[in-house]
Amino acid sequence: MAGALKAVLARVWHGLREWSGDAAYERYVACSARAKEGRVLSREEFYVEQLNRKYSRVSRCC
Amino acid sequence: MKRALGIAAWAAVAALGALALMTIAWHRGEPINATWFVLAAACCYLVAYRLYSAFLAAKVLALDNTRATPSERRDDGRDFVPTNKWVLFGHHFAAIAGPGPLVGPTLAAQFGYLPGTLWLIAGAAFAGCVQDFVILFCSIRRDGKTLGEMAKDEVSKRGGTIAQLAVLAIMIILLGVVALVIVNALKSSPWATFTLAMTIPIALLLGVYLRFLRPGRVMEASVIGVALVMFAVVAGQWVADSPAWAAKFTLGGVTLAFALIAYGFAASALPVWLLLAPRDYLSAFIKAGAIFSLAAGILLVRPEVLMPPLTRFVDGSGPVFAGKIFPFCFITIACGAISGFHSLISSGTTPKMIQREGHARFIGYGAMLLESFVGVMAMVAACAMTPGVYFAINSPATIVGATPEVAAATISSWGYPLEAETMTKLAHAVGEQTLLNRAGGAPSLAVGMAHIFSRTIGGERLLSIWYHFAIMFEALFILTVLDAGTRVGRFMVQELLGRVWKPIGRMNWYPAIVLSSGLIVAAWGYFLYQGVVDPLGGINSLWPLFGISNQLLAAVALVVATSILLKMGRLKWIWVTLAPMAWLVVITMTASYQKIFSANPRIGFLSYANALGAQIAAGKIPAEKIGEMQRVMFNQRLDAAVTAVLATMFLVLLVEAVVDWHAILARGKEAKLHETPYVKTQWAEGD
Repeated sequence: MAGALKAVLARVWHGLREWSGDAAYERYVACSARAKEGRVLSREEFYVEQLNRKYSRVSRCC
Repeated sequence: MKRALGIAAWAAVAALGALALMTIAWHRGEPINATWFVLAAACCYLVAYRLYSAFLAAKVLALDNTRATPSERRDDGRDFVPTNKWVLFGHHFAAIAGPGPLVGPTLAAQFGYLPGTLWLIAGAAFAGCVQDFVILFCSIRRDGKTLGEMAKDEVSKRGGTIAQLAVLAIMIILLGVVALVIVNALKSSPWATFTLAMTIPIALLLGVYLRFLRPGRVMEASVIGVALVMFAVVAGQWVADSPAWAAKFTLGGVTLAFALIAYGFAASALPVWLLLAPRDYLSAFIKAGAIFSLAAGILLVRPEVLMPPLTRFVDGSGPVFAGKIFPFCFITIACGAISGFHSLISSGTTPKMIQREGHARFIGYGAMLLESFVGVMAMVAACAMTPGVYFAINSPATIVGATPEVAAATISSWGYPLEAETMTKLAHAVGEQTLLNRAGGAPSLAVGMAHIFSRTIGGERLLSIWYHFAIMFEALFILTVLDAGTRVGRFMVQELLGRVWKPIGRMNWYPAIVLSSGLIVAAWGYFLYQGVVDPLGGINSLWPLFGISNQLLAAVALVVATSILLKMGRLKWIWVTLAPMAWLVVITMTASYQKIFSANPRIGFLSYANALGAQIAAGKIPAEKIGEMQRVMFNQRLDAAVTAVLATMFLVLLVEAVVDWHAILARGKEAKLHETPYVKTQWAEGD
């Protein structure tokens, strides 16, 4: 029972990190296609690059 | 056996939904409990999702889970990122949920609770969700192409340009009108103005934290930010109670308008990590929290809905905005039932992140159902206050009068009893100097939400805190649209001007950034300013203009969707997009015609301008006011021209599409689809 609850909470936590963007950098580092690019961006560089991309297109509705 | 049980369970849900709908439709006399609204909406949404969206997925779109999605084929860890369907649902919902479904139903409550509620439910199920779902599907099949690119490929080159221009025009009107909603909520309110102003330094602090101290740790920064914003809500009361500080934060409409214009410019021109992004994080968390709290509050408190099902204002004489129930109820509700803007999200980020085609049903159709549910909750919150109070808050002074006594007498004479003391007491209870003439929907929704929240936690004692929490939530929500929209508008302006002179198109050239940011804020700032100085309150002119433009964009999206379905050989099922498109054409063209040509000065832009001109000619306007009135006349004529241009652009696109459909159906023209070729997924079933 405790194990099942722990698993559910872990999934919720994982989902929240994905939704909020906390997990974005780890996903970027782990992405296999990215390996071909050579240099890996630092967490800070990736954060700024990602924001610039996100807010250059419609990201919020009326 | 299991199947029989399933059928029985769904039949029970459908029967309960029908019962709830009949109850709210036929109820007369005594107030009705809001639980019926929640039940009607929830059951209808469940049935629509279970049956109609399943039909769309299986028969019309034939979603194929064996087909690799763009996120699988082009996974780059940046834009194309395979994302769990629940997480993507959260992303998509956070992106589509804006202030529209809160403000639109609140304004449409002037017709009574029934028409708005029915359109929110039916419109979402048969139009809004269909648009979001089909456009998402089309974009997935085209590597995440935008609506404009799909219009260019599948309708015509001109269609693509029209779609792009329409998006820019709609963006400008949208930003002007939502900024007006904030101005009307903050006007003469030091508490609300202080709270919202404080969100800017809080956002700057978070920006520095997320950039330099703990890069990318959004959740912990947001928790700190939300705590600071809550503190600012409480501190606002101290500011309002201090005569010296209250004077500093008591601002008029014009000052607030210029402050918002300056803010929009700063958010567009400053680095995105400094102000825009951290404010968006704050807004996303508070938005999610406030929406769930409102749902929980309504279920716990189960308020009585005091507004009648239909009011006398279905005849078009409404004080909040003028115009008959058809077409203005639909134009006003807009986003809660169908929003053209959603097609930009459905053809933007979401298709690049979806893991399976099959998820498009849950994300595209499901998220819009939830958005519509937010609209129903806003309707409940607005209708849970006495109709007299609702009209006093939402009507302009030129119609009901500027003092509580006159307003109460006018509104009571309409058959909605109101005592002057009620308004004075209510304003005092929520910590405001006055709640009269606050058109725009935000204050009345905040009063409704505050009543529901205070009956859950804190009672009357916390009413003022809850009211200002609700105002802060709505204003934060709207500022997010304002700053993100201004920035996107800036990119669109740069792209368009860059075609004329290349250096302007360079996204990192500062003079180009300043120029294009200035142009976009000047454009929406103009609409905001005209709304602030409009004697009829601004919302009367601008909200219908926004509604028309938003619904026209939805019609553009449905034209593109219909073209694609036709080319896919789904003629048999073409009505799924053709019928809502035809309905939108009817309501937008009727509304456009009436807003331009109606002889009633409260409805028609031109007749309002002419009426003012006649008053000036007859010497009825004092000499010092003539210049101001002439500007109002110019603004009304400008609004008429903007409406005409938008309607014409849409009609050009529609004619091009219809000619193409005719060529395919009658002349056997080859139906060339621009889908990316089929690639089999490499992921195992159930990934």
